[in-house]
Amino acid sequence: MPLVKEQRSSPDPAAIIDFPPEASSLAIRGLSLAYGDKTALRNLTLRVPRHRVTAFIGPSGCGKSTLLRVLNRLHDLNDEVVREGEVLLEGEDIHAPEVAVAELRRRVGMVFQSPNPFPMSIHDNVAFGLRLQGGLSKRKRDDIIEWALRSAALWDEVKDRLRASAWSLSGGQQQRLVIARTLAVGPEVLLLDEPASALDPISTLKIEELIRNLKSHLTLVLVTHNMQQAARVSDYTAFLQQGELVEYAPTDALFTNPRLARTENYITGRMA
Amino acid sequence: MLDSPPPTAVRRRLRQGRDRLATALITAGGIGVIAALLAIGLFLAVEVVPLFWPSGEASAISPEALWSGGEAAEDASRHRWAPTATLAPDETPRISLAPLAWGTLEAAAWALVIAVPLALGAAAHSSLFMSRRLRSRLKPTLELMEALPGVVVGFVAGLVLAPWVERHLAEVAAALLLLVPGPLLAGGLWSRLPAPWREALPLGWAGLWLVPWLALVLAASVWLAPWLEAVAFDGDLRRFLELRLGLDIAVRNALIVGAAMGFAVMPSVYALAEDALSGVPSSLAEGAQALGATRWQTFWKVVLPAASPGIFSAVMIGAGRAVGETMIVLMASGNAALMTLNPLDGLRSLAATIAIELPEAGPGGVHYQLLLLAALALFVFTFLVNTLAELVRTRLRRRYRRLGGGA
Amino acid sequence: MRGGVTKTAASRRLRLPRGEGAGAWLCAGSVALSLLALLALLVLLTVRGLGHFWPSPVALVTLEDGRQLAGEGVREVPLADGDGLERLYRTGNRDLDGERWAWVRVSAIEAVGYPADLVVVERRRWGRAIGHLVAVQGAGGERLEGEAAWTALEARLAELGTLRDARDRLREEVILPLAGRRDDEAAARELEAAHARLRELQAAMAGGRLELATADGGTLTVPLAQALGAYRPNAMSPLDRLAAWGEGVWRFLSEGPRAANTAGGVWPAIFGTVLMVMLMSLLVTPFGVLAAIYLNEVAHQGRLTRLVRIAVRNLAGVPSIVYGVFGLGVFVYGIGGRLDSWFFEAALPSPTFGTGGLLWASLTLALLTLPVVIVATEEGLARIPDQQREGALALGATRLEMLSRVVLPMAAPAMLTGVILAVARAAGEVAPLMLVGVAKLAPQVPVDGDFPFLHLERKFMHLGYHIFDAAFHGGDVQAAMPLVYATALLLVLVILVLNLTAIFLRHHLSTRHGALTRR
Repeated sequence: MPLVKEQRSSPDPAAIIDFPPEASSLAIRGLSLAYGDKTALRNLTLRVPRHRVTAFIGPSGCGKSTLLRVLNRLHDLNDEVVREGEVLLEGEDIHAPEVAVAELRRRVGMVFQSPNPFPMSIHDNVAFGLRLQGGLSKRKRDDIIEWALRSAALWDEVKDRLRASAWSLSGGQQQRLVIARTLAVGPEVLLLDEPASALDPISTLKIEELIRNLKSHLTLVLVTHNMQQAARVSDYTAFLQQGELVEYAPTDALFTNPRLARTENYITGRMA
Repeated sequence: MLDSPPPTAVRRRLRQGRDRLATALITAGGIGVIAALLAIGLFLAVEVVPLFWPSGEASAISPEALWSGGEAAEDASRHRWAPTATLAPDETPRISLAPLAWGTLEAAAWALVIAVPLALGAAAHSSLFMSRRLRSRLKPTLELMEALPGVVVGFVAGLVLAPWVERHLAEVAAALLLLVPGPLLAGGLWSRLPAPWREALPLGWAGLWLVPWLALVLAASVWLAPWLEAVAFDGDLRRFLELRLGLDIAVRNALIVGAAMGFAVMPSVYALAEDALSGVPSSLAEGAQALGATRWQTFWKVVLPAASPGIFSAVMIGAGRAVGETMIVLMASGNAALMTLNPLDGLRSLAATIAIELPEAGPGGVHYQLLLLAALALFVFTFLVNTLAELVRTRLRRRYRRLGGGA
Repeated sequence: MRGGVTKTAASRRLRLPRGEGAGAWLCAGSVALSLLALLALLVLLTVRGLGHFWPSPVALVTLEDGRQLAGEGVREVPLADGDGLERLYRTGNRDLDGERWAWVRVSAIEAVGYPADLVVVERRRWGRAIGHLVAVQGAGGERLEGEAAWTALEARLAELGTLRDARDRLREEVILPLAGRRDDEAAARELEAAHARLRELQAAMAGGRLELATADGGTLTVPLAQALGAYRPNAMSPLDRLAAWGEGVWRFLSEGPRAANTAGGVWPAIFGTVLMVMLMSLLVTPFGVLAAIYLNEVAHQGRLTRLVRIAVRNLAGVPSIVYGVFGLGVFVYGIGGRLDSWFFEAALPSPTFGTGGLLWASLTLALLTLPVVIVATEEGLARIPDQQREGALALGATRLEMLSRVVLPMAAPAMLTGVILAVARAAGEVAPLMLVGVAKLAPQVPVDGDFPFLHLERKFMHLGYHIFDAAFHGGDVQAAMPLVYATALLLVLVILVLNLTAIFLRHHLSTRHGALTRR
């Protein structure tokens, strides 16, 4: 029965995406990636809409985190990676030789699974990226820091102790600090790699609210293993399995009416 | 929306350039430093080459000469090291490295004879019985012991211990005899103590409270010595050794070197052996104990075999250190290039010979090259031994991880 | 649980009576024996090293045959023929009979007294003089006797000490800097004035002498300028003794050696050791850290890097003497010889850099301790979670910025631990120094007022080598022993402090990173 359903479905999972190409911030074309002789991504093609939240879901090891790391070239750190295909950010190939990796990473920010504030004060954590860019007066920098902390909904909690160690914050606060730190350098895209998986439910809700607020001016890509979370915050959802893109659709459509049996099995929990 | 201004292209280029420059510098510097380190072996090898393939009219030195010290040498003068001796015209140079190699290995062997049982016993005790608090104090203490400079240990061994031992041979013999029964007696007495006393002196702290006990035992051996000498050694141990067993006694001898170097080597053997023993997955030991084995039986039958490669590598590291230790041998051995099995005779090691003779040997001469050959031998030996130990250790660690240990 | 003593009654019943057999006790015994050996060594060094400075009472021994001698009892040993004991006295007055030691049959001693008026005089030459103070003669020829002589002597010696200090200061602070600027006329005038003042001081110090009646009935005259200090050990109160002990320790630490390294202090050796170790850490830290960063952060983590890492680890186990040989062959004969023929041709054939010296010793020890620093730094780098690196990169940092702003500050304690361990190892290492530049007695310390102030080519003294030299090459080993003990104690203390610092840092480090990874 599921087999039949799969055969009927369209071969191009991206076909039903309802936004025009010029509304996409990131475009991935024929992307394959392997660690040594272990393939992690197989011939992925999809577009990520600008100023929307796109979620990648799938069983662990399906390549969703790998995909996220390709988007700001963190996979460069591993010498064994072999890559094919291209990733376009606003129409430019991010792997082109003239692209400065550091500048790319400033434009495509990333927040990791467990909070990783640097061992410095809260203020210095947010100022870190700004100081790298340079060219800002202290006053302007402090304005941006306040704005970033406000945007991350952290300002009210830390405004009196900006000089305290970032490690003295709670886990949820640390994660919002990391988001603030990333916002401060003015990224266009924000990649979130299971940003709430290490947090308690209340902190998780705060982060989710933050994600919804940020999409007014940012393109967000969220990797999560929590399907409720994907359903709650994302506009589009892509389901990946064993390095392949299985289905990609507006979130409502994907969760209420998946076209493929594999997707349905996964989101209804018949397959871990 | 507030936003940081887009960084200028100039600054971006500057940061990028700095990064490239730094990466290049780190790479160059790192490779340079490592190459400089590895150049040590290469340098020694290159300098030694002319010994065997001379360029001028000088004759090559045959491996045979390095072993026997010259073909013409008769049995009496075989294996002699006297590279600076003035020779009669018909004599070949006495350049046998054999007695030096022998001395090196003999000293290392005696050091291991003393260090290995002590280190393994201590490692076994600390991984089996010792209280956690004592163990966390013992480790740094023994690290401090390891850090004691060789020149201090050598001084105490050569100028304090050696003359004392020479005057008190019988006391030393008595102490050696009592060292094993001493702790056993303590154990026997302990198990007969009333329970509250036993609790005050727990086995977990035995390593500490046995210290005064052992001091007492050693004091008892001083008291016992005259009696022992009278009963077992015809009243004079020294004469007994010289006449009955035909042993020469040098003030600074192989045993003194062994004791001092054993003291110096013991901590590093202990540290590695303890790592290997406490790395054995506790599930193994608990399985055996659940079957009713005592902790000691468990250790002997299960933990020790599992950790034996680690212990092997600990002993190897100890051997490497003992072979290369210079100051202790230099100060405590008497530096006589002898090839005897007698542990009470002096010896001369490769390292000590290099330290004494190299400053006097002019660069480029045969003597200089011979000493460099000795250094090369030391280098190759310790490098191989350490590599072997490291490989065994890596293997072992991987095995423990497979067994789900690492606790 | 292992090793812990369980507090529940049930397990006590189960475990304690059964016992653990003989093996367990032998193992405990080996722990105890190792600790006992360490303890014995430390106690021996402490007691002998510090005890030497304690002014012990000087005995006046009267023998059966009426002869007398004065000195401190050192030890007793059984006589060779088996009956009775023989006692060793440390005497003085070597200029009279050439001896500093006297063996006395205990049975031949008739009386031992401790007269309060025995005076011990420390002299610049010939070691100590012991005797009853007969008279002190001032520079002007006035002669004082009895108790007045002692008071005058103490006053005069204090005065001489001040004068000596003034002279040394004048030499070091005025004359030496001026001597470098010979062409300058103003300087020449100043120099002339300073020399005049120096002559004045010398004149003020000259003259005067003291007379001692020695125990064997002779008379010993000591020029006051030769006397460094005088005390009456038997008349001292415990407080006086403590003060004298403190002064002795201070003089040991602050003065240069006298009498072929058998007396005096070890200041040049301390200075040389510290200077050499400082230079070494200046050399080893950047290079070690650089190599560690390369291995851990930059190099491709393949088979080759793994091999190199094992090789570097193993180089830490290569004997130090081999490094010494390398230093001699490459630095001294190779580079030093080349430098000499390029820049110091005028001085040839006597070598400038082509012989052992401070620079080559520091370089050799830097090479020797390089693996220590590399391994420690690498461990510190490996312990930093990758998230921290990725966090920095994700903010648009270049690798250099990531390393310098996030990774290195976090690895700093590990690096520091490595450097301290390296310093501890270098401070105790003697064998390679014997090949590349240590000196038995260095007439000039490597730092002075002459341009370029730090003389890298000079030989230097070293605590460890001082021990070896004084214990094995001195003429009178017996006399040098107390100082060797004190030097050994000093070296051990320095190394213990360094190691304790490293242990403390490492502990501090592991608890901090523990807090990091727990979250």
